[in-house]
Amino acid sequence: MSDPRLSRRALIAGAATTALAAPALASIGAKLGGMIDLGLPGGPSLRPTTPAFPGKGEMIVQRIRPPLLETPMDAFAKGTITPNDRMFVRWNWPFPTEVKAAEHRVAVGGAVKAPVSLTLDDVAAAGEHISVVAINQCAGNGRGLSEPRVTGTQWGNGAMGCAKWTGVRLKDVLAKAGVAEGAKRVRFAGLDVPLTDGAPQFIKSVPLDIAMRDDVLVAWAMNDEPLPILHGFPLRIVVPGWFSTYWVKMLSTIEVLTGEDESHYVAETYRWPSVPVTPESKDFPTVPITAMPPRAFITSHADGATVALGKPLVLEGIAFGGDAALERVDLVGKGWEIPCELGPDEHGPYAFRRWSVNLPQVAGDFEEVGVRAKNVNGAVQPETLVWNPSGYARNVIERITLRAQ
Amino acid sequence: MRAAATLILALALAGCDSAPKVVFADASLTLPDEPVELPEGPGRDAVLENCTACHSPSTMLQQPKVSKEKWESIVGKMKKLYKAPVDDAAAAQVVDYMMHVQSQPEASR
Ligand code: HEC
Repeated sequence: MSDPRLSRRALIAGAATTALAAPALASIGAKLGGMIDLGLPGGPSLRPTTPAFPGKGEMIVQRIRPPLLETPMDAFAKGTITPNDRMFVRWNWPFPTEVKAAEHRVAVGGAVKAPVSLTLDDVAAAGEHISVVAINQCAGNGRGLSEPRVTGTQWGNGAMGCAKWTGVRLKDVLAKAGVAEGAKRVRFAGLDVPLTDGAPQFIKSVPLDIAMRDDVLVAWAMNDEPLPILHGFPLRIVVPGWFSTYWVKMLSTIEVLTGEDESHYVAETYRWPSVPVTPESKDFPTVPITAMPPRAFITSHADGATVALGKPLVLEGIAFGGDAALERVDLVGKGWEIPCELGPDEHGPYAFRRWSVNLPQVAGDFEEVGVRAKNVNGAVQPETLVWNPSGYARNVIERITLRAQ
Repeated sequence: MRAAATLILALALAGCDSAPKVVFADASLTLPDEPVELPEGPGRDAVLENCTACHSPSTMLQQPKVSKEKWESIVGKMKKLYKAPVDDAAAAQVVDYMMHVQSQPEASR
């Protein structure tokens, strides 16, 4: 039996040799699976979708190499845990596609009493095994929706997911080497390395007090399964409440620093302005992007969906508090707001939580209706986008329009 | 009930030193093929030769419409930061190509 996709591919490849130029993104979509419109203002907004990545279901292809796969919003329509086959995938540089468990080592060095090289079994024996349910969200999630638009990976809002992570505490792994006097930060590196000499390796560090937190993990399991390669097999860092840029995958080095981290991905990027800026601003001070702010999404209805005029309506979705527990969610229109009912607190402060609201009767269109999350520290989603040149930490209230018919 | 379950778990763990055993198996994966697609346009070859070693063309094609200066600065960043070996002539062709592609309607990109 020939694979229908292959023969279709052959057909399209044939078409591309004719005088007419093939529409590139659209034909990739035809080859891989379907197409999805991410609603990015001004475009390009269409992306191919594919189930072709091993261990993944239907995912939005932002990039094949190195993979950038976005979760379609319909994956968030039910429940609070994102299955492994729907979790978004993000790599900066190429990574090994084969890892031998017995050969893998984690070097713990830098400002330590005695550097060690740990096997996976050593890591697993370093301390108590614990599980934390936490949202993994790219710092650039929603960048493609920025207005004015900014360059970088043009994510919709699907570069996020919530999973149960299991491993040992980072501080127990650090104790194997013993943190020395004067330690300030802890830096992580993985097996993903640049293709070119002199290009910056994707290494990231956190302040020592974060590294020593009771819930910061060196994790080997995701939703009770071994970490898939695409998610960082065999080990990744988990920092609940912080953006996933710190959740270094394929962990191979832990380095204790006594000073500031001058490396590229901490000192020069994954930073955002510490003062308000506009697209014209230059030379403003920046700070690393770290803790996540609260966010909420309507998952029961897409933008432009129709609802029954005169009938009751139930809106539903997900929300999270970011680096602190969710306190409340409100449905907000233009000049009105209605509190939403929160679903049970199933997985603790760093997880998705469901919300719903019952509207007794639809009286007309809902123009620009959104949901606004607030966390227990008082952080609340803003009315307008906190624009920044790299499109980090989007948490403006996401609004949709519903048509009554 | 709760006590009984705890007891069974405790028995299962008896003999282990501390935490339950994790078994690490080898892992491997085969990434899907990439259909290399770049719309026709002046400078297309320069892009194929200089800009597709480290990432798929979608990295460029998905960007919002930006100015010529912005494309020059992106190519400059690829050279300076990521050490992409791109000579000046090729860099100019890449910029022209991206300006051309971004002037086309989305459906033809
Ligand atoms: C030596 C490797 C390398 C080469 C060659 C290269 N790039 Fe990149 N490029 C990168 C890396 C690394 C990133 C960041 C990837 C990420 O964030 O996942 C990037 C990102 C980008 C982006 C996204 C926007 C941004 O600033 O991150 C654009 C656009 C881009 N490259 C264009 C180009 C063009 C045009 C060329 C050819 C002149 C090129 N690249 C050649 C490594 C390279």
